Amino acid sequence: MAYQLYRNTTLGNSLQESLDELIQSQQITPQLALQVLLQFDKAINTALANRVRNRVNFRGSLNTYRFCDNVWTFVLNDVEFREVTDLVKVDKVKIVACDGKNTGPNAAE
Amino acid sequence: MEAVHADEFTVEAVERALQQLYYDPDMEQKNVAQKWLTQAQASPQAWHFCWALLRPEKVPEIQFFGASTLHAKISRHWSELPPGQLDSLRSQLIAQVDQFASGSKMVLTRLCVALASLVLHVLPETWPTAVPDLLCAFQTGESVTEAGGQSRCLALLELLSVLPEELQSSRIPASRRSQLRSALAVDWSSVCSLLQQLLQRPDAPSPVRERVLRCVSSWHTLDIALKDSEGLLESCFALLKESEMFDTAVETIVSIISQPDCQRFADSLLKVVPQVLALQEQLKKAVQDGDMETSHGICRIAVALGETHCRTLLEQVDHWQGFQALVSMIMSCTGTPGHYPVDETSSSLTLTFWYTLQDDVTSLDAERQTLYLQIYRPVYFQLVDVLLQKACFPRDEEYAGWSADDKEQFRTYRVDISDTLMYVYELLGPELLRNLYDKLGSLLTDTTQPSSWQDIEALLFGFQSIAETVDVSYSDVIPGLIALIPLITANNLQLAETIMFTIGSLAEWLADHSLMLANVLPVVLHGLSNPDLSVACVSALKRICRECRHDLHLHTTDIMAVSQAVLVKDIHKSPQCMWIMQALGFLLSALPREEILGKLLSLVTPHIQQLEKLASEPPSSANKLPVVHILGLLSNLFSTFDLNKQSQRLEVMRPVQTQPHNDNPVVVVLQQAFPLIQTIVSKWLNEPDVVEAVCAVFEKSLKTLLHDFAPLVTQLCELIGQMFGAYPQASALDLTRQLVHIFGCEKDLFSPILALLELITNITMSIFHLGSRDHPDVVESFMQLHAQVLRRKADLYLSDRLDIKAVFYCGILSFKFPETPTLKATCLLFTELISHCEEIPAVREVLQEDGKLLLQTLLEAIGGQSPRSLTEHFAEVLFSVSRNCPNMLSVWLREALLPPGFPSSHLTTEHKDHFCQQILREQVSKRRMKDIVKEFALLSRGLQGTECAANY
Repeated sequence: MAYQLYRNTTLGNSLQESLDELIQSQQITPQLALQVLLQFDKAINTALANRVRNRVNFRGSLNTYRFCDNVWTFVLNDVEFREVTDLVKVDKVKIVACDGKNTGPNAAE
Repeated sequence: MEAVHADEFTVEAVERALQQLYYDPDMEQKNVAQKWLTQAQASPQAWHFCWALLRPEKVPEIQFFGASTLHAKISRHWSELPPGQLDSLRSQLIAQVDQFASGSKMVLTRLCVALASLVLHVLPETWPTAVPDLLCAFQTGESVTEAGGQSRCLALLELLSVLPEELQSSRIPASRRSQLRSALAVDWSSVCSLLQQLLQRPDAPSPVRERVLRCVSSWHTLDIALKDSEGLLESCFALLKESEMFDTAVETIVSIISQPDCQRFADSLLKVVPQVLALQEQLKKAVQDGDMETSHGICRIAVALGETHCRTLLEQVDHWQGFQALVSMIMSCTGTPGHYPVDETSSSLTLTFWYTLQDDVTSLDAERQTLYLQIYRPVYFQLVDVLLQKACFPRDEEYAGWSADDKEQFRTYRVDISDTLMYVYELLGPELLRNLYDKLGSLLTDTTQPSSWQDIEALLFGFQSIAETVDVSYSDVIPGLIALIPLITANNLQLAETIMFTIGSLAEWLADHSLMLANVLPVVLHGLSNPDLSVACVSALKRICRECRHDLHLHTTDIMAVSQAVLVKDIHKSPQCMWIMQALGFLLSALPREEILGKLLSLVTPHIQQLEKLASEPPSSANKLPVVHILGLLSNLFSTFDLNKQSQRLEVMRPVQTQPHNDNPVVVVLQQAFPLIQTIVSKWLNEPDVVEAVCAVFEKSLKTLLHDFAPLVTQLCELIGQMFGAYPQASALDLTRQLVHIFGCEKDLFSPILALLELITNITMSIFHLGSRDHPDVVESFMQLHAQVLRRKADLYLSDRLDIKAVFYCGILSFKFPETPTLKATCLLFTELISHCEEIPAVREVLQEDGKLLLQTLLEAIGGQSPRSLTEHFAEVLFSVSRNCPNMLSVWLREALLPPGFPSSHLTTEHKDHFCQQILREQVSKRRMKDIVKEFALLSRGLQGTECAANY
């Protein structure tokens, strides 16, 4: 099964809103909405794994890390993101990463 | 078809509706038919009419609906089946499958799915021998080479294939699912022997063998033990020799060996290794013949085995040679001759394997690690050579013939190689860089053999891949590399770009070795005048200026002169000009204090003169772009021009809250340019792009100047008022928010800021009066501004000229907006506002008067008017009310929820009472409040308890 963490993105949220509306107006069943979401998970996992090769480097100080149910979570403080041309500073960043070997790419949110 | 009574769900009526669904040109009628058919399918009568629809004389569309209905009944309405009817249903269904074995394929599949669904209902208690019974029922002893025997055999295989698939796709509780899985796995031995028998029959027709392979893949999703499929796997390998079976056989083998569970059967895995190795001859031949399909398939098998079972196979230390041979095979796949993706597509499949192998080797215990490192360090050095070979650009003529899509694929492939090299550096360390350096050195200095630009580029690309992310300060070859760079004749665009990117990636190293700057800077500055190198070259300059700004004093004049020249000559596109200005901002702010102003003025003066000239002309679309461009140059320059950072570096003891420097050069420039900016604003008041660009100039400089900006505050407040009055824009509000943030607590500046706040609040009110729906961005920024005021300087709210009630009602209106950011900002405003209800009388009054209205609006939003993803933010507002005015909340909440059907018709009085009790009890845990609100939102939308909601 594909990871569901991309549901909490602008695209995923918009899709869920639309599905909610369709369920409420009884145009689709909740089961169909779930199938659509599962399809979304699959598609976005594949797309991010295969179609994106942008690279951003970052460094910061590691505040907390955990590895639970095969999901890594890192909380970093004072992080600098460096893309080739830009540097962005952020006070706090949470990284959620899943094993991308079989299902999709490493993921950050 | 409307208002059909239940007893009208007859065969004839269904057929009529299907006719309408398929052939009626009117969409409206089709929809009506569709709805009616769904109802018919759900009705108890469906158990009867479905059989009639399946009769042989019916057309396939009708038969298909009959089969679908049967599946729908069995999978979803199983409980309707009267006790004692199971046997007849089962035998009827088997008879139908048998009948359709030589009929329509699409109907047959539906019937098989229905039968599979039935099996899953009754396995293992009611019908423990389901699978053997079905095997018996369809094996009538006829040969598969005869037409009847073949179609019956295909029907059986179809049924066997859909059985595990139906288990995967139907909604079954987890415990029942695992029970069914084990029950089916018990039957694998009998299924397996049938399948193997069919595969080994030399006369079995291809469709039968294809279907057998599909069935094998399907059953392996049930966690079948590898040791129980050894024979079958061997037969699959044998099929790889037959070209028409090749693709399906590859799929099946990959699906069997990719099961992570296989690792429990190391002995079986060890038997697979030689079978994979035996494919090398076939692989070699395929590569020679340019047969991409075959080489790709074999490569997939080798990689699947290596990637999934790397660790298990490494642990079988006695069999290290077998695994090493597999690694060599994968290496040959990585090094498949030709260019990706035009000549081959296999090499990219192998890259993840190299990460896995490295991870697994380095996580073994010390003894085995030492052993394996001896074997695999040389292999990884070889891998680097192979990868750099694969990263080489093709010959120019060849590359010119590639499609844009091929070029893009090649680019992403190189990024994958770059990532792999970066990771390999962890294993090989600085020796890897030395290796690359030696190769580059011999390429550049060997005069006997002319080297191609592609080889040089690939080596630099390797360097850059590593230096981009890894700290290369431990390597002693970087000075040598930097000395080599000027020797390269960059006669090709790709090579020149890679040189620039390599220099950029070394910027941090250069900051610690500033003497070397003199070697690379001329290369970058020379490239700056070439528009084709724009992105690579400007980004290298920016990185150097950012990292090495404190060591660039000697080079300032050169950098300034070249940059200014290319800016004036318009060599680069606008975004790259902005980067150049950012680079110069870093550079100038690190100069000795006394030199800054002069240099800054000489840099900006030509642009300001140009701007003056443009300002004197009548505004037109032709001169708008240059105006925005020049304003952009200024704001980008000021965004990186940070003297505070510089002061902190020089005087470590200096307190962080710096006192304003009255002579800050940026302030001097801004003061000089202020009248000009005013002129521009007055001329371009109605042009959002220009106003935005003006705001950006001040916003960027505010961010870096902080308190040094003070001398400009009063006149800027007037300017913002003027801009906002003429044309209200979000950017002006955002700039005001910055001012409040930085100067809100400064007594001297209190009055201009308050006056501005009053003015823009009044103007925004009038937007609300006239209809704010077209300005969600203005509303959002307005809400954020007031939330900021309350957080930073709530005293501003004590002014009697600020109409707080009006702000409150604007907030209520904003809750009806559909835009998520606007709603979030509104929630933020109310959360802040309510927390100040004690100390600000006006806030207290408006809450007392119209708190109920707020509650109503909030409940409407939670109850379905706003997106469900925002419930957390609404919960924050409720939590703030609950903490700060608990007594009023209990009254408002009960009153607001009183009308029936409010906020949603899905809610009963009990639901609402329960919600009230929970909310009123919750004053401590924000998280709990969020859960309560979330549950209420689901209830209101009728989504409570649905699988969809649980999975959201």
